[in-house]
Amino acid sequence: MSSAPPLEPALAAYEAPGAAGRFLTVRAILAERSARTGLILVGLVVLAALLAPVAAALTGHGPDQQFRAEALAENGLPAGPSARFLLGADGNGRDVLIRTLYGARISLLVGVPATTIALIIGTAVGLVAGFFPGRIDRLLSLGTDIALSFPFVVTALSLVALNRGSDGRPIVDPVLLVILVISLFAWTYFARLTRGLVVVLRNRPFVEAALSIGVSRPRLIVREILPNVLPVVAVYWAVQLPVNILAEATLSFLGVGVQAPTASWGNMIAEAQRTSLYQVQPWFLLGPGIAMFVTVLGFNAIGSGIRNVLDPQG
Amino acid sequence: MIKHIAAHALRALATLLAVLVITFALTRIAYRNPAAVLAPRNATQETLDGITRALRLDEPWYLQLWHYLYRGPDIQGAPMGLFNWPPALGYSFRQQRPVTELILSKLPVTLSLALGALVIWMTLSILFGVAAARKPDSPLDRALSALSYAALSVPAFLTGILLSYFLYFTLSTYGIRWFPGSGYTGLTEDPLEWARHLALPWLTIAIAEIGVFQRVVRAAMLDVLGADYIRTARAKGVTERRVLFGHALSAALNPIITLGGLELAALMGGAIVTEQIFGLDGVGRLAVEAAAGGDFPVVIGTTILAAAIFVISTFAVDVITRLRDPAAG
Repeated sequence: MSSAPPLEPALAAYEAPGAAGRFLTVRAILAERSARTGLILVGLVVLAALLAPVAAALTGHGPDQQFRAEALAENGLPAGPSARFLLGADGNGRDVLIRTLYGARISLLVGVPATTIALIIGTAVGLVAGFFPGRIDRLLSLGTDIALSFPFVVTALSLVALNRGSDGRPIVDPVLLVILVISLFAWTYFARLTRGLVVVLRNRPFVEAALSIGVSRPRLIVREILPNVLPVVAVYWAVQLPVNILAEATLSFLGVGVQAPTASWGNMIAEAQRTSLYQVQPWFLLGPGIAMFVTVLGFNAIGSGIRNVLDPQG
Repeated sequence: MIKHIAAHALRALATLLAVLVITFALTRIAYRNPAAVLAPRNATQETLDGITRALRLDEPWYLQLWHYLYRGPDIQGAPMGLFNWPPALGYSFRQQRPVTELILSKLPVTLSLALGALVIWMTLSILFGVAAARKPDSPLDRALSALSYAALSVPAFLTGILLSYFLYFTLSTYGIRWFPGSGYTGLTEDPLEWARHLALPWLTIAIAEIGVFQRVVRAAMLDVLGADYIRTARAKGVTERRVLFGHALSAALNPIITLGGLELAALMGGAIVTEQIFGLDGVGRLAVEAAAGGDFPVVIGTTILAAAIFVISTFAVDVITRLRDPAAG
């Protein structure tokens, strides 16, 4: 997994506590063109995910339904784009358009929870590590380093093997496993970010003031420090989400993520590549490829827009 | 400074040890019945028991870990553990070869892939980043920024497939055979063939990385270009090229080195996809095949290798950035 875009701009903007909160308004974000573009693109993707069953009902094609008689030629080659199959059919005679729409559901269904779980774990670890210097910080930072140094794909493969029960069937739903695998790696970025922010905040007068009037440390962390780091962490959620969507697609492409017949953009592209059918019938790549591009571009544009609001020079 | 470096080295060692133990535990739990995986399909119970005994799979885990670290699974008699001299990573169950030997035989492929891609993406990112930072918000800056966002939004596996479709498949249907579709030739055998075989894989990795680095270089340059000494240098009549690539870039280099080290280390993950698409027989592919086939000495070996590369890169980045900026030491 390629690491997330750098944080320096977001961190540089974070000089005074509350700065992010003060300037990060909905209106300021909407004033950014890239954020507006991103919101429209993401809106389209969410709409596609929501309307997938409607499209399936309208065409009468289920996502996993095979139309071998209509969509496959005599020699087994799938039919190209037509009125009935707008983006053509795949090697099993399934509707590529309908599968692409259902793929949007999987993408969001994995990306959003995985990033959120990573945010919760990472922020908690970062808060504690940043607030308690010395042994606790060293221990938690070592834990973060250990998690970071595991190779993502190889470890994911081992975890998939771990998930295989004695009868060869998966123990937990593969989709759930993908969510867990991604959050297992992604929390480290949130932990590093939060720790860095808390280390700065800890030396601020308001922390000393709160401690001197007898505020307990857990209360101080949750009530005073957490609200100050949350805006930046939330922005980073938007930055990390497209990275995780691509991570799901990559795992599914390698066959360790979402399993067939469930449609995922990654495993659709994998199938096109494995059968080499895309070389003669490129529409196999068109649906999932463009969908993935639009989704990730949309989220990246939103993230970039928010960063511009936080740090106009960057 | 020295104290700091020693502390970092110690932490790096602790990290590696933890990765080793966790991977060992993980693979032992994950592959519940390795004997059944390794045995022929219709093996008798006796054969299975024999394999289990030979691999010491019936012993408690701490004895297995000790054997792994000290002797290694000694099928061939000689000790092959990590705590032996020379240190080795054990013996592959499936390929009947020492893991160290397997990894070393595949390492040149992955190293050529990663380092070649690094050279391409760093050169292009620095050129594009500096060009964009010279005139912020100019049409050129906007175009380069749009380009890097587009590159960032395509996963490596799709870039790879598209490159191989257009530059290998389509070109060769017109009789132009510039780029082979797959395979690898050693650098020492034929440098030209080596570069020809790796061109598309390099490009696949570089495109994704340029999406990240063009913006990093641009941001770092913008930070520096406003500084007084840059104005002084310009006022003194230093040529613009020397101002940009001499003064400014060397001052802006720290974040670029930091992220570059991390990305290079993380390439083990990206390389797996690229190796798969272009049929390169590298370490990534070895790791995936081992993990899929239950060959856990190889899984542990490749995981340790990846972790070691990561830890060493982080360490090197730390030392370099500290040497460049004594105030931080």
